[in-house]
Amino acid sequence: MILKMPIQNKLIKLYDFSMMIIETIRDFPTALKNRKDLLNEMYVIGTQSFWLVFFGGLFSGVILAIETGHNLEKFGATLLISRTISLGMVRELGPVITGILLAARTGAKNTSELGSMQLSEQVEALKAFGVSPIEKLVVPRVVAAVIMFLPLTFVADMAGIIGGMFITNTTFHVDLVYFWRTATDVLDYKDIFVGTIKPMFFAFFIAIISCYYGLTTKGGTTNLGKNAINSVVMSSLIVLTLDFIFTKVVWELL
Amino acid sequence: MIRLNNISLDYDERHILKNVSLTVEKGTTSVILGSSGAGKSTILKVILGLTDIKSGEVFINGKSIYQINEKELLKVRRKIGIVFQGNALFDSLNVRENVSYFLAYENKLSEREINEKVKEMLSFVNLEDTQELYPDQLSGGMKKRIAIARALAAGPEIILFDEPTTGLDPINSKAILELINKLKSLGKTSIVVTHILNDAVFIADNMTVINEGEIVASGSVREILKSDNSFIQKFFYEIFLDNTLFKEN
Repeated sequence: MILKMPIQNKLIKLYDFSMMIIETIRDFPTALKNRKDLLNEMYVIGTQSFWLVFFGGLFSGVILAIETGHNLEKFGATLLISRTISLGMVRELGPVITGILLAARTGAKNTSELGSMQLSEQVEALKAFGVSPIEKLVVPRVVAAVIMFLPLTFVADMAGIIGGMFITNTTFHVDLVYFWRTATDVLDYKDIFVGTIKPMFFAFFIAIISCYYGLTTKGGTTNLGKNAINSVVMSSLIVLTLDFIFTKVVWELL
Repeated sequence: MIRLNNISLDYDERHILKNVSLTVEKGTTSVILGSSGAGKSTILKVILGLTDIKSGEVFINGKSIYQINEKELLKVRRKIGIVFQGNALFDSLNVRENVSYFLAYENKLSEREINEKVKEMLSFVNLEDTQELYPDQLSGGMKKRIAIARALAAGPEIILFDEPTTGLDPINSKAILELINKLKSLGKTSIVVTHILNDAVFIADNMTVINEGEIVASGSVREILKSDNSFIQKFFYEIFLDNTLFKEN
């Protein structure tokens, strides 16, 4: 019995989470009805995460350029740096860095906001007055994340490629025009498709996981803190797991 | 009319409610009286269908709310207003937005009509000049009155109050109780949960005393005050050590 309880509880939580995903997808059209909340969430994600994502992408590109540059230099192949940075940023680092940074930024925000609403009976108030919390609180956050993660990933990609370009030019003396041309030429539709679809899935799961942890907060502020941590940890793990699935499975299917 | 039939509810193997049956007639004020942890607030959540029950049925205007789907339940809930113990005002919104929240959500009224309704509700609770203030700028009594205004804004037939005077000073408590009585004069049905006997006597048409999830007694105020039930006598005696109220009634 003692051993069974945690497993049962986990299964119940998994069921609740699955139901929340189904309800959220079912209620997606209500995002238009709550467009004020949607626009507000989009604004918050876009404006407050811009510089975080920009610098995250920039330094990823710069570090990638330095590390690959030093190794390729040994073989006299510094001209290949641009290909590595471009493919690395668009297919992998851009979406993953954006996902992990936003799992922390947006995930913690969603969990703490909804968690404190839950603790102060504001969520109960919504239900009591006949308003679905999924429709009013979850859908706008999830849709806003799905819409905004894509341009933010583009920002991270561009910052990384441009940062890498300048480092490659100043450290390894690769011509800027040559770098830019090969960096863009090497990308095909498959790369751009994977780099575009990944952030949408990351956004969906980050937003819904953080909302789930927020809405299931019970007890007091200590549990709110724990849920905020769990939300960020779980979202980050999901980003890495999904990235692996996309790289291994989806890439091979395409 | 609200009718609870043999409601039982367990939580983590603890019996929170045991065979609770209750009827509240239209246009009356019913008070559920009991000490903390007796299960009073849970009854309000059961009436709203906010918590799962183990057995029993809840009828709101003849509709069994535990046998309808979530969408229909949301419609039933819109006929009910609730004032939470902690008020549950939306802290990111100002008073006007709080009071108009559910009106704006329903999207049936124009902006002008919503503003007029907000003014009317704030005038009802005597807080006309607070429209632009935020919940953290209000006193406890003001928050409670705004919560009442919000509960009334959508024109519910039934209003539930969870410990409406707890934590308020005597003047604010009296103001809240007078508002509840004013609602009765408007034909609204109210259910008030409280542990304060004075409040219960001041507003109740009917009183239900609950202890450890079980209904101990139910009836008119006079019947309850005269009851020879040992729990009720002990409960009242602890409140009024001099027993004056019993003698007067």
